[in-house]
Amino acid sequence: MSTESQKCPALEIHDLIVSYQKKPVLYGVDLAVPEGSMVGVVGPNGAGKSTLIKTVMGLVSHAHGWVKVFGGELRDSIKRVGYVPQRESVDWDFPVSVMDVVLMGCYGRSGLIKRPGKMEKEKAMQALVKVGLEAYSKRQISNLSGGQQQRVFLARALAQESDLYLMDEPFAGVDAATEVAIVDLLGQIRDQGKTLIVVHHDLATAREYFDMILLLNMRVVGFGKTNEVFNSELLQKTYGGRLTVLSEIAGEVAKQER
Amino acid sequence: MNRVIKFFSFCLFVYLFTNEEGQAARIGELVDTDPWEQIKRFFSFSDRGLQLSLIGAVLFGAVCGLIGSFIVVRKMALFGDAVSHAVLPGVAIGFMWGMEKDPLAILIGATIAGLFGSVLVQAIVRSSRIKQDAALGIVLASFFAFGLCLIRIIQNHEGASRISGLKSYLFGDVAVIDRSDLIIMAIVVVVTVLLFCILYRPFLIISFDRQFAYSLGIPVRFLDAVFQMFLAAAIVISLQAVGVVLVSAMLIIPAATAYLLVDRMSRMIFMAMTLGIMSAALGVFFSFLGSNLPTGPFMVISSSLLFLLAYLFSPNNGRLTKWFKFISLKAKVRDENLLKLLYNYLETHSEAREGIEILISDIANLKKHNQKNMVSDLKRLQKNGAVELVDGKVSLTKEGLSLASTVVRNHRLWELYLTNEADYAADHVHDDAEKVEHLLSEEKVKELELFLDYPELDPHGKPIPGRVNS
Amino acid sequence: MSFYKIFISPWENHLSAYWPIFAMAFFVTAACGLVGNYLVLRRISLVGDAISHSVLPGIVIAFIVADSRSSLPMFIGALVAGVLTTLLIEMIHSRSKIKQDAAIGITFTTMFAIGVILVSLYGADTDLDLDCVLFGKLDFIASKEKVFLGLPQIVITMGSVLLIIALLIVLFYKELLVSSFDPNFAATVGIKPRFVHYCLMCFLSIVVVSAFSAVGAILVIAMLILPAATAYLLTDKLWLMMLLSIVHSLISAFFGVHITVAFQVSTAPATVVAGMILFLIAWIFSPNHGLLRYFTNSFDLSTFQKEN
Repeated sequence: MSTESQKCPALEIHDLIVSYQKKPVLYGVDLAVPEGSMVGVVGPNGAGKSTLIKTVMGLVSHAHGWVKVFGGELRDSIKRVGYVPQRESVDWDFPVSVMDVVLMGCYGRSGLIKRPGKMEKEKAMQALVKVGLEAYSKRQISNLSGGQQQRVFLARALAQESDLYLMDEPFAGVDAATEVAIVDLLGQIRDQGKTLIVVHHDLATAREYFDMILLLNMRVVGFGKTNEVFNSELLQKTYGGRLTVLSEIAGEVAKQER
Repeated sequence: MNRVIKFFSFCLFVYLFTNEEGQAARIGELVDTDPWEQIKRFFSFSDRGLQLSLIGAVLFGAVCGLIGSFIVVRKMALFGDAVSHAVLPGVAIGFMWGMEKDPLAILIGATIAGLFGSVLVQAIVRSSRIKQDAALGIVLASFFAFGLCLIRIIQNHEGASRISGLKSYLFGDVAVIDRSDLIIMAIVVVVTVLLFCILYRPFLIISFDRQFAYSLGIPVRFLDAVFQMFLAAAIVISLQAVGVVLVSAMLIIPAATAYLLVDRMSRMIFMAMTLGIMSAALGVFFSFLGSNLPTGPFMVISSSLLFLLAYLFSPNNGRLTKWFKFISLKAKVRDENLLKLLYNYLETHSEAREGIEILISDIANLKKHNQKNMVSDLKRLQKNGAVELVDGKVSLTKEGLSLASTVVRNHRLWELYLTNEADYAADHVHDDAEKVEHLLSEEKVKELELFLDYPELDPHGKPIPGRVNS
Repeated sequence: MSFYKIFISPWENHLSAYWPIFAMAFFVTAACGLVGNYLVLRRISLVGDAISHSVLPGIVIAFIVADSRSSLPMFIGALVAGVLTTLLIEMIHSRSKIKQDAAIGITFTTMFAIGVILVSLYGADTDLDLDCVLFGKLDFIASKEKVFLGLPQIVITMGSVLLIIALLIVLFYKELLVSSFDPNFAATVGIKPRFVHYCLMCFLSIVVVSAFSAVGAILVIAMLILPAATAYLLTDKLWLMMLLSIVHSLISAFFGVHITVAFQVSTAPATVVAGMILFLIAWIFSPNHGLLRYFTNSFDLSTFQKEN
């Protein structure tokens, strides 16, 4: 990587305001994630963790502020970004095989119309091997367990060969052994100099999994190296109730801005 | 609900006691008359056929509004559409029963067909990977196609003349409604209204939260079946007037309109029934003016017009209402910002007090504004009694000063709140406070002051003026 | 009615007269069915229903304005009406508390009502009537002048529409697949899901309009969904699902014509009835997703759970 790209963070967010159905979900979020880090996004339910990821991906529109990916618009570097959505976001009855789904990861590199060739298939197979699903490549996706489905998504993201990964609760519905395997895999990706931002709901394990933590509750409560951020004062702030006046007033503002 | 029942019984009473077996004049047969004449005739209500049509309209409009309210809040609008198409083969089979238009046979046949359709939709969804939308589409179209085939077969056997009664079931013809139809309609309406009076609470709970209804021990599945039966019955009695193709509109549109206007289920139902009656009656009126036109589309368009009115002018959520609110807020923001500017100017240059004069050109320069615009803006403020203009100079009045200090106070309080409590960076808070200062109510301000322990200075070190209650 | 009269006698005489009808029914059902695959998989089947109803006023107005039955103005009118419907649905449900299903219901019934009134008022001038809206005019095709292979012009046109749709689907298979399966992900590999969605809506309008004169406005939804839904029950592979939907179209068109001859009914509803019967058979007997399988499965599962 050039020195220039090292100067600008992989993901930069400035004064982001997002509201959903007239209620604020994120209010004034500032963030700069350096390249090559593995960030756990932690916070209580409804703190806006998934919304943050979706806003970065442009799936949710924001009322105020901006998001920069690799120092530019998301549009310009969208192919460098891998997104692992929540498992419920797709229809698992869809008539495609595991291989088909993983191959989708390669579509960004091959152009319009062009079909995935031998090289793509090999790449997809390698990704499947990495997540330990090579034996399932011909299965229809509804015949997989929850954890396996999650790993299919992961394999698809691997096949994408992105530089920045945004993962929305990749451990939801995954058994403990798989979880460890996935964390291991994520560590390997990080070691290749790639950036991972992972929404995680379990405070207990977050500490060992991630080297940076983002404490989120409608706003950034704390962001930094795991051992710096993980103190009782900040955790208390994150989980100890919400700022009622702020959320009420922010709701008023959102209403006016439609 | 009681009012509704009284209303219906009154209608029924009027009808049964005024009706001497008159020959119903077909609306469609009144051709080429002067529209004004027609309007006069309409409002004299002397036409026997018209009376029948209107009573019919009132009856089915009400029951559609009632059932439709539940359809809309349960997000079953397209389910209603599918069931309404699915009744067609039932109509044809009911007709085949005696090879004539026997309303009772048709009612039974169509209700059964509608029920069968809804059961089939659920069975397909539950037992296979086909999703609800596709299942609805399948049942809707194939039942309808089957019905069309049956009608054609009847036509082949009986000749086209006998079929004329059946044709009205497709696009609706309110003029073919006769006394026996009305009696059946009235019975269905009375039973439906009674049932929903008795079972209002359980239906409400099921519509709002099914899981909770289960936990209360309400027989959810059974009540669903009851609901579907009455849905089918409501569709069937509206068929002749509106037609299979469009009857779902009479379920959805009045109820959706009511949904926009009110926010309680009981009021919504009442409103939807009223709107249903209004659209049905309006439909009768419009088709009375034209000749030989199907009535169903006119009823639908009447109800759509009512919906459009509600969509634009609903007091809470109407588009135009919101727009007006937006405009007036914008004007308020503009005025308040100008006052704030004067206040800040006074504060930095001398002292924020009433009656101190400032050169307008100074203010205009500060805002990089054209002087003319500035004067006209200030004149508007003068009208409101907030400032005084004396040859090129402006000063705050007492009211103006108190208004300005309120805005400034809101701004600085909010900055302080964001900085102290929400850990905001100091360079962010100003932009946010620019918006919030116009929206804080006195109540919120008191809350904030209490929360921040009656502060004197904002994060930038400027004094916070005019405490609300010291 | 005897077995002979229903099953055998229709095929004893002048079969050739039904060749164009059969071809048209097949082309319409296959073209609709191909697009329908994506509607079913994206769970927007009822948008197909809404569009097919709401193009009616567009078609009628185009007839009145252009004063002819030529297909270009008809297509433009329908496209305008279709776009208007999508916009109205969007406007109602994003700008008020009305939910999407109700918004669809309100919009398409209103458009259709306008269409029906226009047909009743001006139908006589444009040789459109309510029967045409309901049944289509599939049965009158046989009497038209034959151009090619014993097929009239309108059938040839429909055949080309089918070919074009099939070609587009083959070309953009990958794009359609990703954006249907996971639109959010599609954006990250540089496929614009909104763009693909609008293209699909455009395909939909094209087939709905070209099918209109043959099957009317209401039965189109069956042509769109039945083949795809039947195929969806039978396979786990998308390309096979499309192929099967074409097979479904072929068989239902064949038996549709059979039912038409046997019972003297209109071909369009008869084709739908035939398609429905095929769907029911697939639903009951499908090896993996059928009704029988469902009952045996739920039995298996309950014993399985007890053992654990």
